[in-house]
Amino acid sequence: MLLRHFYTALFLAGLASRAFSADTNDQLAFFESKIRPVLAQNCFECHSAQAQQNKKLKAGLLLDSKAGVLHGGETGPALVAGKPADSLLMKVLRHEIKGAEMPPKGALRSGVIADFAKWIEMGAADPRSGAAPVVEHKRVIDVKSGQGWWAFRPLAAPALPKVKNNAWIQTPVDAFILAQQEAKGVAPNSLAAKEQLLRRATFDLTGLAPTAEEQAAFLQDSSADAYERLVDRLLASKHYGERWGRHWLDVVRFAESNGYEFDAFRAGAYHYRDWVIDALNADMPYDQFIRMQLAGDKLMPGELDGARAVGFLVAGPYPGQITAKTREKIRYDQIDDMVSTIGSGMLGVSMGCVRCHDHKFDPLPQKDYYGIAAALATTVHSPEKIDLKHAETQKLLVRHHAAAAPLLAALKQYETHELPKRLAAWKRDDMPKLAASTPWQVFDVQSATAQKARLTSDRDGHVIYLGNKEKDDTYTIKVVTYQKGIRAFRLDALSDPTLPNKGPGLSDNGNFVLGDVKIIARPLDKQNKTKPVTLDLAAGTVTFEQKRFEFAQAVDNSPNTGWGVAPKMSKDHAATFEVEGDAAGFDGGTEFEVQLRFSGFFGLGNLRLAFAQEAKTALTAETDMQSLRELQSMPAAATADALVTRWFARIDPQAKKLLASIAEHEKKRPQPLLTEVYTTKQGGEDVYFLRRGEVDRKEGKANPDFIQVLMRNGSADKWTGTPKPKEQPKHPRIALGDWMTDAHSGGGPLLARVIANRVWRFHFGRGIVATPNDLGTQGTPPTHPELLEHLAERLVAQGWKLKPLHREIMLSATYMQSGAMNEGNQRVDPDNQLWWYRPARRLEAEAIRDALLQLGGRLDPAMHGPSITDVASPRRSVYLRVKRSELVPFLTMFDAPEPTQSIGDRGNTTVPTQALTVMNSPFVRDMAARFATRIKAAKPEQTIAQAFLLAFCRQPTPAETQRLTAYLQAQQQLGAKSPEIELCLALLSLNEFIYVD
Amino acid sequence: MPLNHLLPTRRRFLAQSGLGFGSVALASMLQDEARAAAAVANPLALRPSLFMPKAKSVIWLFMTGAPSQVDTWDYKPELQKRHGQPLPGSDAKTGFFTTSGKILKSPFEWKQHGQSGSWVSGIFPHLSRHVDKMAFIHSMHLQANNHAPASMELMCGSNQPGRPAAGAWLTYGLGAENQNLPAYVVMHERRPRGDDQIWSAGFLPKTFQALALDARRGGVIDNLDRSQSQTQAQQRGTLDLLREMNQQHAQSRSPQTDLAARINSFELAYRMQTAAPEAMDIASESEATKKLYGVDNKTCEVFAKQCLTARRLVERGVRFVQIFAGKNAGGDGAVDDVPWDGHSNIETNHRSCGAATDQPAAALLEDLEARGLLDETLVIWGGEFGRTSDSQGSVGRDHNPNGFTIWMAGGGVKGGVHHGATDEFGYRAVENKVHVNDLHATLLHLMGLDHEKLTFRHNGRDYRLTDLGGKVITEVLA
Repeated sequence: MLLRHFYTALFLAGLASRAFSADTNDQLAFFESKIRPVLAQNCFECHSAQAQQNKKLKAGLLLDSKAGVLHGGETGPALVAGKPADSLLMKVLRHEIKGAEMPPKGALRSGVIADFAKWIEMGAADPRSGAAPVVEHKRVIDVKSGQGWWAFRPLAAPALPKVKNNAWIQTPVDAFILAQQEAKGVAPNSLAAKEQLLRRATFDLTGLAPTAEEQAAFLQDSSADAYERLVDRLLASKHYGERWGRHWLDVVRFAESNGYEFDAFRAGAYHYRDWVIDALNADMPYDQFIRMQLAGDKLMPGELDGARAVGFLVAGPYPGQITAKTREKIRYDQIDDMVSTIGSGMLGVSMGCVRCHDHKFDPLPQKDYYGIAAALATTVHSPEKIDLKHAETQKLLVRHHAAAAPLLAALKQYETHELPKRLAAWKRDDMPKLAASTPWQVFDVQSATAQKARLTSDRDGHVIYLGNKEKDDTYTIKVVTYQKGIRAFRLDALSDPTLPNKGPGLSDNGNFVLGDVKIIARPLDKQNKTKPVTLDLAAGTVTFEQKRFEFAQAVDNSPNTGWGVAPKMSKDHAATFEVEGDAAGFDGGTEFEVQLRFSGFFGLGNLRLAFAQEAKTALTAETDMQSLRELQSMPAAATADALVTRWFARIDPQAKKLLASIAEHEKKRPQPLLTEVYTTKQGGEDVYFLRRGEVDRKEGKANPDFIQVLMRNGSADKWTGTPKPKEQPKHPRIALGDWMTDAHSGGGPLLARVIANRVWRFHFGRGIVATPNDLGTQGTPPTHPELLEHLAERLVAQGWKLKPLHREIMLSATYMQSGAMNEGNQRVDPDNQLWWYRPARRLEAEAIRDALLQLGGRLDPAMHGPSITDVASPRRSVYLRVKRSELVPFLTMFDAPEPTQSIGDRGNTTVPTQALTVMNSPFVRDMAARFATRIKAAKPEQTIAQAFLLAFCRQPTPAETQRLTAYLQAQQQLGAKSPEIELCLALLSLNEFIYVD
Repeated sequence: MPLNHLLPTRRRFLAQSGLGFGSVALASMLQDEARAAAAVANPLALRPSLFMPKAKSVIWLFMTGAPSQVDTWDYKPELQKRHGQPLPGSDAKTGFFTTSGKILKSPFEWKQHGQSGSWVSGIFPHLSRHVDKMAFIHSMHLQANNHAPASMELMCGSNQPGRPAAGAWLTYGLGAENQNLPAYVVMHERRPRGDDQIWSAGFLPKTFQALALDARRGGVIDNLDRSQSQTQAQQRGTLDLLREMNQQHAQSRSPQTDLAARINSFELAYRMQTAAPEAMDIASESEATKKLYGVDNKTCEVFAKQCLTARRLVERGVRFVQIFAGKNAGGDGAVDDVPWDGHSNIETNHRSCGAATDQPAAALLEDLEARGLLDETLVIWGGEFGRTSDSQGSVGRDHNPNGFTIWMAGGGVKGGVHHGATDEFGYRAVENKVHVNDLHATLLHLMGLDHEKLTFRHNGRDYRLTDLGGKVITEVLA
């Protein structure tokens, strides 16, 4: 009695597990005998009030009371009564959750685990009272105060600081730099030599060395604005996009292959690289640059630029082999790759951490992550065929359709007025003359496609192979009939003079191997809701079967075995298939999808499909024409439609002529100029909020949303918009781009700071924030916060154009400084935090390779196009193939990054294998040899001078000339065949060559 | 001394030496200024361990393609008894294909060996003599169920690409013992699935990347040989010139450690030209040694040469050597790059893979011990996952990441112990489960490093080899 009373109380408190059913005595007995002892023995040590007292409570979970079990711990309720499969307790007992295998000492016996499942299934009866635990609250993210972090604030235009040495100031940049230097008692270096400036600016903007002509032109130009015009010329160079495009490709983890198991190559991925180069060369405003990469496919549907720009989204790695177990995880990994790269690359925040939990340091709740993930949810990788001249094709298509209108009108006219009359006349006069002489009726072919081969079909039901022979191909042929009661199918393999050895197969001797046949029947009539059926087929009769390639092997559900006809090639063959069980065919017509799976390269070159309504039908010659029965069985309502005309055209010359005129016109249909682009496709599914980022712990659908601290009006509606009736809702990726580039109340201020910092970083070798991918609290604080603010503000004010930003930086006295030593400065600021000198900077891997090719006179300046697999190619390095498993050793050795995650700051390592490459590799020696032929002059000092000019952009000092002349002699004495080659190799090995002042 | 006081100067060094800002963590791990300074001047400079290390080097024998635990080291009598019966709790989705759910017994003869009485299947007549040196972990498990991601998970702690492999972490943490040789060497025949992502330096500086030696090319190091058109004297002359001119170049500029490092790197490369061929010259080994490894035996010749080279390398101070077992001798249909992948016939596959690796691996243990090197060399044997206890097709087994066996020997490991267990069918790890993070924590511990302190900051996060997990398996420590 007491017990019952207690249960009523629990029930009223809303804690009863199963609505309207109290726990029965049996269930309670089960708990007492099977569950409670196990809990006490294995769980209470860490999950009980006692444990809480002893400070041993784990995961905030109490298992010594019913309330504790239902309330659960940090990761939610321990169980869902009645649903063992959804219960966390079962998952941890079954060791299905990494890091939460319970009990930690080892799994319970399988019988015991089964008891728990049964107990939960029955409703988790539990008589125990006791309180639910008070779970400690985790850190709560305060969005309002988070907005106070410097990088998340609105953009401001800082006032130029006052400085003493105003004469030094060239652009506003200098005021910010000098103010800090003066405060610390540091004086900036003077201007670098003109030669150094030329080399610095040229490598910086184009990744190439100044040519002899460029040197001559600049060094002789003594006008006041010579340097300014140099910078403008370089910014206008097409090589600018190649150089700075490569920087951006690091940020977006660009590669052209899947990575993982087989690292499949993505033939159309290079389009994105070309788009980046073109966009930078055109000085596309950076906000547009970002919007295009997030949603170009939606902003410019069907157009090449839209498709190539979103190559950004799909540049990440992707597993080629997906198993049932890993499918869901891979889908979320895919989205994670996009969210993380958007976070680190565009916004300088580490979103990757937020997949599993709120950011530990930055004000980024998990909600933000899943909001962005939801915006990306239905975006999947796809190689798409895109029309290179989309707009033009569309225009031509309009014209084409207009020209077709009279032809279609004539056909319509015929179908309405002529067809019924003519059909009736034919039925009356001619039909009786035709007798059905064969049980076989040839199918009307609707479509014939193959996985790889190109197929075509003709009016008489032939399916003909056109080209593209590939291994293990499957042909899919769709045929229709209005007849029912189909008992047998027939496949004719027809010889054909155009085939090897006259066919009928595609192999060199004319044989084929039909591995498997599958036929799926679907109702044609949309009203008929019968489900498609896969027919059960048995081998019937056959003209001939090859030894060990018997006909029965074509219906054994094993594609590895099949039917062949060797040695009787060069003639027609046929085989029949009996339908087992019920006869096939639906009311209102049937579409049969016939799948023919061929083994190896042994496809069929010419085939035809037919059917019969009697089983055990012999192989007789068939008539050329489909029997009249087809016509009779057509639904009456369809007598005037296109299908009838199509059929009647075999008989009626006028119908034939009308159709032919349309077919003729269709031949002139404007053809798109297709190219394969690795881009996005609509697909995939909704994204769910995942507890701890685990795919088997979904907690409700996530909706597109953005980063809270970067939404000054507090809601994403401003950008996602409210869909108006009858209007296509705004695509969430377009909204994402709009929010991210909104410089007033969205992500714009941060976006601008991140890119301004990157531009600075690539000009100076260190960002104002030294961690360009992290402007959050874990990143390095800015050395010159106001300068960064100034640059970001100017960028936005000048319409997000990057070239003016380069200009302001490169025309600054700060940028133009020399690298000279100053001991006083060195003592105060050894790390050059104040930028009192310009450090020599090592060229990046690509620039080293390009400069070597350039000195060797080999560099091919061609732009764009499919990536180059031959590393010996003279093309610029940005065009070399980036295959994740086969990165170019020369480039990775010099720190070209692994393209798996966004890279903001490449390493700059020095390892002996680099020296080995410079000393011994055939490539470098070849370039040295070619360089030698370009500089060899009558006198050694001329040779040396010319070499210095090309390699270092300066004249040698007398001491250097002397030393190198001696070196040339010494090499000759040591037996060098060409001392000049050794000289060139030595110069290419020098620090001065790959470290630009 | 608090780290922050050291930061400015350190930061300059770190940035310039290519260690980057992530290495602030390294500096903190190295605890004092002197060690940090040494590390930054030369990222590969030898760095002392945090505490007394048991092992100095690692040789990881990677059984590419994944051996079956129940046909090698994890004896399950129940499997033999219940052949053909339904496997309780079998999950058809475990592997890459779909399995039958019916128990497949081990086709091999099983015997107990050594003082420890360890059960070993008949495919390892040589290795079975060394069971008392081995600590078996029978309860390994990981997440991925296909070769490439599982291999990444096993070596890098995560099945998403882009993370550094254990060898790179170790080199980052400890530097190189021998400056004239690469610290981290990988040997393979066909490139295993996942390629260099399995031995990637990931986001760590490239200084710590592995040097991969392809057995098909005779294990050569690229560009090690001087051009035919240059004599040693000529090259020496050039290097002298480089040093002089590079020094002048550096003197006229503000100090930069990377300029100095590059001057050194040419001298190092010059010495490596002699040191590396010497280290890899197995011809200089005695006939008896070669015979011990099976260099004369066609069946295991490739692996024998690799094991012998591995011994020579660790003898000379190479930190981490990993051998990916190549093509199996018998060739029963498994693909060359995943030789142990016995999908179609576990018996013929595993017999031939055993024959191709058993003698050399056993010889390696014996040889290391005879030379007193086993105490400081940790040998690890294992594949990227295990295989199903139920059959795939008729006599093959599918992938199974839920339970498999790895053994370790030498370098601070207790011999003859068996840690953890799979269920009675060898299907799932159930007792003292060991995650790859735990294995890595133990590996770092044996090398004298604390897995929670060996961190590197990348894209705003301090990464560890052991991610958020990892527990040293004290039960296997000597």
